[in-house]
Amino acid sequence: MTDARYIVGVIAAMALITLALRALPFIAAQWLQKNTIVERLGEFLPLAIMTLLLLHSAAGSAQQDRLGPWPELLAVVMVIVLQWRSRNALLSIVLGTTAYVVMRNLTPG
Amino acid sequence: MKRHAPAAFESTASSFSLLALTAPVAMGYIPLGMVFGFLFVQAGAHWSLAVLSSLLVYAGAAQYMMIPMIAAGLPVGTIALATLIVNSRHIFYGLSLLNRFPKNGWLRWYLVFALTDETYSVLTTLPKSTSDKQMALLALLNHSWWVLGSTCGAIIGAQAQLALAGLDFVLAALFAVLTVEQWRTRKSAAPLWVALAAYALAYPLAGKHALVISIVLSIAAAMLWQPKRAIAGGVDHD
Repeated sequence: MTDARYIVGVIAAMALITLALRALPFIAAQWLQKNTIVERLGEFLPLAIMTLLLLHSAAGSAQQDRLGPWPELLAVVMVIVLQWRSRNALLSIVLGTTAYVVMRNLTPG
Repeated sequence: MKRHAPAAFESTASSFSLLALTAPVAMGYIPLGMVFGFLFVQAGAHWSLAVLSSLLVYAGAAQYMMIPMIAAGLPVGTIALATLIVNSRHIFYGLSLLNRFPKNGWLRWYLVFALTDETYSVLTTLPKSTSDKQMALLALLNHSWWVLGSTCGAIIGAQAQLALAGLDFVLAALFAVLTVEQWRTRKSAAPLWVALAAYALAYPLAGKHALVISIVLSIAAAMLWQPKRAIAGGVDHD
């Protein structure tokens, strides 16, 4: 059994650091808002970061997959096409994830 | 819809769209929270600490990272430093939301606290007319899914079989959906190409840390980036 006080300490430290990182742009807002670079970042980063999160989570799945990265690639393309056509997030996620889980669990070996 | 639709009707309609936005997040957060709760308890911690972690830290990648670190008994300072690196991307999430957030009070600070990857991306796709309370409600719903999943996973997970391999792909599917939606609302394709190039560069070099490195590369590219209107308008003025 791991020491509960140690874990509470870890949780407190992680919570404070995460909150500080999330709060930084809001605390420094007055300075940041006058900055054109900051404005440009706000325009540029959402799509870039979302793409990176997609790549990183798919790469994470591919690492645990004997057949990686092909099932991941196939499933991601499937989700993108479904979402582009249907705009139905739930449908795209459920079908894409189901297809992926089937590929991972039904392949021989 | 008529201009003079009753306020009650309008708020019903928008709470439906809130549900439509939070549903895919629930699809990702509940199973992923369950996996977190399960693994956290397996690592030797009490179930209530898994719940506490999801309530207070509320950062998926960092919480997954903490499990092997706690199991190995690493010093608090080391885990804090790792959290700083993994979550440094959150600094940039607030930037595009500065003018959208409530000006003061609990709603503002709750939204700041709850600004996860998924909540950030959903908030950035909301219409400008969205009220402070609706934004906070959306954040609270997303937070609830994560805590709910973690609690279920921590309590029942220890007795259940591990989930099917590949179920965590739900997170990648969620990011794929959000990328498509960000793509729809952007005028420039540059952020997508920069992100692909940055990750292709960072992944072979850094593996697990490729996310942080490629985010830094993207930020550098964003600072050098000139929006198209500037190129079209000004012919080598500077």
